Amino acid sequence: MSISKSLVSSFPSVDEEDALTLYGQRFSSRLMLGTARYPSPAVLEAAISCARPCMLTASLRRQGAFGRDTSQGFWTLLQKMGIPILPNTAGCHSLQEVISTAEMAREVFATDWIKLELIGDDYTLQPDTLQLPAAAAELIRRGFKVLPYTTDDLVLCQRLLDVGCEAVMPWAAPIGTGKGPLNPYNLRMLRERIQVPLIIDAGLGLPSHACQVMEWGFDGVLLNTAVALARDPVAMAGAFAKAVGAGRQAYRAGAMLPQDVAQPSTPVLGTPFWHQS
Amino acid sequence: MVSIMEKQTLWLKSATALEPLPSKRGDPVLVIGAGLIGRLLASTLASQGHPVRIVDTAAGAAAGGGAAWVAAAMLAPLAESIATETNVVAQGYYALARWPQLLSSLPQPVFFQQQGTLILWHRQDAGEAQRFMDLLARVQNRLQELPAPQPLNSQSLAELEPALAGRFSQGLYLPQEGQLDNRQLLAALLANLREHGVEVEWNCPLDYETAHRWQERSGGWVLDCRGLGAQKEWRWGGPLRGVRGEVIRLYAPEVSLQRPTRLLHPRYPIYIAPKQDHLFVIGATEIETEDLSPVSVRSVLELLSAAYVVHSGFAEARILELNSQCRPTLPDNLPAVVEVAPRFLQINGLYRHGFMISPAIHDAVLEYIHQGCNSLAKQLGLAFETANSSNSVHGSVQVSP
Repeated sequence: MSISKSLVSSFPSVDEEDALTLYGQRFSSRLMLGTARYPSPAVLEAAISCARPCMLTASLRRQGAFGRDTSQGFWTLLQKMGIPILPNTAGCHSLQEVISTAEMAREVFATDWIKLELIGDDYTLQPDTLQLPAAAAELIRRGFKVLPYTTDDLVLCQRLLDVGCEAVMPWAAPIGTGKGPLNPYNLRMLRERIQVPLIIDAGLGLPSHACQVMEWGFDGVLLNTAVALARDPVAMAGAFAKAVGAGRQAYRAGAMLPQDVAQPSTPVLGTPFWHQS
Repeated sequence: MVSIMEKQTLWLKSATALEPLPSKRGDPVLVIGAGLIGRLLASTLASQGHPVRIVDTAAGAAAGGGAAWVAAAMLAPLAESIATETNVVAQGYYALARWPQLLSSLPQPVFFQQQGTLILWHRQDAGEAQRFMDLLARVQNRLQELPAPQPLNSQSLAELEPALAGRFSQGLYLPQEGQLDNRQLLAALLANLREHGVEVEWNCPLDYETAHRWQERSGGWVLDCRGLGAQKEWRWGGPLRGVRGEVIRLYAPEVSLQRPTRLLHPRYPIYIAPKQDHLFVIGATEIETEDLSPVSVRSVLELLSAAYVVHSGFAEARILELNSQCRPTLPDNLPAVVEVAPRFLQINGLYRHGFMISPAIHDAVLEYIHQGCNSLAKQLGLAFETANSSNSVHGSVQVSP
């Protein structure tokens, strides 16, 4: 399934002029959702129709479609939801695994998009920062539109741009921790120094986390666990969608500068003296 | 403990009260699919004097049974309550009380145990444990009848399960939960059928057209219990899919465990279910695919390292079997009974809870066959669409030629 324009444009857009643009493709939502760990596909579907994300990520390896027939079962359910699928390379530990998984995904879903995950440590699922640029370069050489999952390291993100990535996905915290932005300084520095779309991927637990990074000027967020493991995943999906929208709107509105001294919002002059005590 | 006993009586009472009274003993029945629910229904109906035919596409009893043949046959509604809906938990508790009654009517003994389950976790998965306990507390609030989980420290764990003394410093004990031996049960159901003159017709694919013609001739009931085999004919509430599970059977003479242990894991719960004579069933993975290929190395490593961490005696165990199967599952992961045409029932979507809930579904189906009502299904929150339901959403299935 390719990401068809008709699909994307079928979503109501809050602000056509403020569409998220990745590799020349415009998206009206700035929220991406993962598809793992939901109580059931029916709950996943309800969460998706509530949040209306721009893409759905899915793992060919962990969710088991690796080299299999995806015309049945979970994968038909996923494709019927009508949201473009962003396959990922979750669970890959080497360049070779990444390439074969990505090629498999391209064949299965008929899409050039790939979320590059190259895991360096299994317990924290921290990306293999040393191999990541080479993996991204190879995928780009093969014609993929690569969205690399990375740490918040500035130089690493710059290297990813150097090899041709047109967007970068730094983490806020390790996958599934729900801790929210652990290093605001690094993230804001990234935003300041990097001009391409930056999407926060992993580590968000609350809508306020999503709102916060959107206020800082990040271009989107990708979530899974925070929604899937919420008591009510459907309601939480809606809350995140609103938080992302609010954060984006606030960023575009331009925040006031904090002041050290209180300033009355109405002039004191002219109010009766007995009100000024 | 008194309150737990009282609660158990409550479930037992409701189970006995709803024991269906056969009113139309003679109706012939055709059961398609000789897995767990098919055999269970056929066995009871044959005992009640119905002429029963039961067919299956498998080559024979050894190959038949589908997901039921490889399952760990855990009866753990409280532990499952964190991953499923309240009605499945209610069905599970109803079934826990019903199993001893159902087993006592069979001609062969079936290992059945109800000594609770243990929940353990690695230190790294403490977050998972916290989440498990939070969810349990939440379910507890909604279903007051459930027995309370009991937190364990290293001392109480050692008293409860001596073989694990010193290995874990904390855990949870879920009273009342149980397990049975799936293969003994499947064999005993066949033996009961045989006693009533019914043999499963193996190697017998049967399409809906043939089943419908049989029904027209006989005026009887058709029960489609094929699980994933019914995929093409399933129309109600979205597609029927397979969810892969991988299970290992071990012989571990050095390990003696009293009760099943559930090890928390970020992707799926791992059970170590001790059956008789040091036989252990370890499983199961849960992967969204209809892949029936052999067990993967990754899954074997995960399952066996989990077993080894629980008890190092598993290092010297012998691997008897590595099995993979697919659980028949509906989009909401809940079971359903659908009457696609009058007296033609599809029973499916038992997912990972086949043994845990099948007596509830069995009773609900029998109540409908004998009394024409589905009050038990309503009471237990089981989706049960009858042919004359006013809000019936099915009807696209063409069973007539």
